[in-house]
Amino acid sequence: MTTPLWKLVGAAAIAVALFAASEAHAQAPIKIGASLSLTGTYAQPGTYQREGYELCADHLNAKGGLLGRKVEFVFYDDQSMPATGVRLYEKLITEDKVEAVMGPYSSPITEAVANVSEKYQKVMVSPLAATTSIFKKGRKYIFMVISPAEAYLEGLIDIAAKRGLKTVAILNEDTLFSKASAVGVAEIAKRKGMQVVFQEAYPKGNTDFSALLTKVKAANPDVIAASTYFDDAVAITRQMRELNVNAKMYGVTVGGDLPKFYELLKQNAEYVYGSTQWEGTLPYPGQKEFVDSYQKKFGREPVYHSAAGYAGCIIYAEGVKRAGTLDSDKVREQLLKLETRTFFGDYKVDPDGFQVAHKMVMFQWQDGKKATVWPDDLAGGKVRFPTPPWNQR
Amino acid sequence: MTVVITPTMIGQVVISGLLAGSLYAMVALGLGLIFGVMRVLNVAHGPLLMLGAYTTFWLFHWVGLNPYLSLLVSMPALFVVGVVLQRLLVRRVVDAPELSSLLLTFGVSIATVNLAQLAFTSDLRSVEYLTGSFVLGPFAFSKSRVIACAFALVITAGAFYFLQKTRLGKAIRAVSQSREVAQVCGINVQGIHMLAFGVAAALAAAGGTLIAVMVAIQPEMGQVYTFKSFLVIVLGGAGNYPGALLGGLLLGLIEQLSSLFLTTQVNEAVAYILLVLVLLVRPTGLLGGRSS
Repeated sequence: MTTPLWKLVGAAAIAVALFAASEAHAQAPIKIGASLSLTGTYAQPGTYQREGYELCADHLNAKGGLLGRKVEFVFYDDQSMPATGVRLYEKLITEDKVEAVMGPYSSPITEAVANVSEKYQKVMVSPLAATTSIFKKGRKYIFMVISPAEAYLEGLIDIAAKRGLKTVAILNEDTLFSKASAVGVAEIAKRKGMQVVFQEAYPKGNTDFSALLTKVKAANPDVIAASTYFDDAVAITRQMRELNVNAKMYGVTVGGDLPKFYELLKQNAEYVYGSTQWEGTLPYPGQKEFVDSYQKKFGREPVYHSAAGYAGCIIYAEGVKRAGTLDSDKVREQLLKLETRTFFGDYKVDPDGFQVAHKMVMFQWQDGKKATVWPDDLAGGKVRFPTPPWNQR
Repeated sequence: MTVVITPTMIGQVVISGLLAGSLYAMVALGLGLIFGVMRVLNVAHGPLLMLGAYTTFWLFHWVGLNPYLSLLVSMPALFVVGVVLQRLLVRRVVDAPELSSLLLTFGVSIATVNLAQLAFTSDLRSVEYLTGSFVLGPFAFSKSRVIACAFALVITAGAFYFLQKTRLGKAIRAVSQSREVAQVCGINVQGIHMLAFGVAAALAAAGGTLIAVMVAIQPEMGQVYTFKSFLVIVLGGAGNYPGALLGGLLLGLIEQLSSLFLTTQVNEAVAYILLVLVLLVRPTGLLGGRSS
């Protein structure tokens, strides 16, 4: 039986077409999806995180991409709302068919979207989720980069206890990360022999803190620890000044580290302590290259949210490189084994993907600059203690 | 872990409440005016306030204009915006079922906020002008809030005077009582609608300007004032203009006292529960009926 010529030609054409298609596929960029908070209450840190992702893609592409393919981010704005984030990750994975995802901004949103990434078995390195519980629910594919919420204000309490302060008041936004962080402060304070004399939560989006601060003032604490994001950190600081609420130390968790915090509050930000996952001045390898290239691309200084975004993306890429594939289970295996020190500090996770190596630092605003004051082995500055009353500044 | 509440603390939050309440009253008066005259609930009232705040911010930022002087710019500018908005859009839904006007102003609200996000970005801005407070004995009076309260009371009084004593103000009240009769008496109802919308937008702008000195400015800052204003006019009595003042001060006090005695988390719940009670017991609002 002879095969007609047209059948041979046809088969050859199909083969060529298929080959061309697979070739084209190999050349197509790897699309990585992420939704970030570009508007709403988390807009400030969310935007920084996106810039970190963008710079990471640039740098990967400059070095030949990932697995020989270009890397391209697909971004959406979740408006700082967990429900929107869930919808967007569904869309990214099912409609846009991205091959990989990176985490969103904030714990509440990560907690919500982690259900989506788990459902589709996508590895999700979540560089800006700091709440322990997210990683301790038996989820398989989620990885943590920064130190946990509970550790944010350890430095504040440590400095206070060493200087003999006795009482602390704790305020927190009533959302996942802030609550966890407040619980952490209370535990550390008790461990160090300090007494929690006041603790109260306020709702997300709250702008009037007068009654709350009136109660804080009446409790007359040595230390005020506020577990905040950004808008609230600014409002609380302003209203503390307005209501003449004084403490020997006052620190915030998130937001205090952004340059905007000082721009908005000017001299009222002086003496305020803030915690950060990273500063450009810390003695880690590759620090200068990151800071310089970031400044060149975006025309502003990076903050820890940018650095964490960048670091998370680099860590994911390292996992993919070692696995030699985008396959979730293989990448996961590599990320669980990975131990590395980047410009962002140390990375090592436990079997749940929970971060165990990274270190927090504490800074204080001094003359418009952030001076790193804790821990001692990383600190480049000295604390200005105690914080003088508002009317003596 | 909570503190014992002393009379001093109550005094302090009453001060805070009244200071905030006077602003609520002024802003809500605008919302009430539009509702009284046109039977339109303007959901975009808060976003208009946001535009007023940005006017103040940019004037302060670019030319260093004193934020309180910028009232002279933000109020007329938003007056014009209000008139144009009424002429182009709201006019079409004045006689339509209430849902149409709600949908329309809701759309305007979303569009305004999103355009503001595009134009101004969602970066927080602030007018760092008067920080700190006057301390009198155990009480602290935030400087920016005291001045805002003073301006709000003066502007609200001015608006009342305008409504009660001037010809145009009387025409506005006439239209709000009965459009047909006013028309028969030779009042240009269309013109009055535009005027009322303009005045309302100017009141929102004044609120925005005064609030700009107190809190951080961002495109989404306004919506919460739509809801607060709504609460105020229902408490005070929709269509009853002096009721807005009472409602505003009351809302300020309720928010602060419930934050003090309970927690900040429940103060909105307390305010809305009160709203439901007022609607059940006295549906026409605390001051009842319509103003004459």
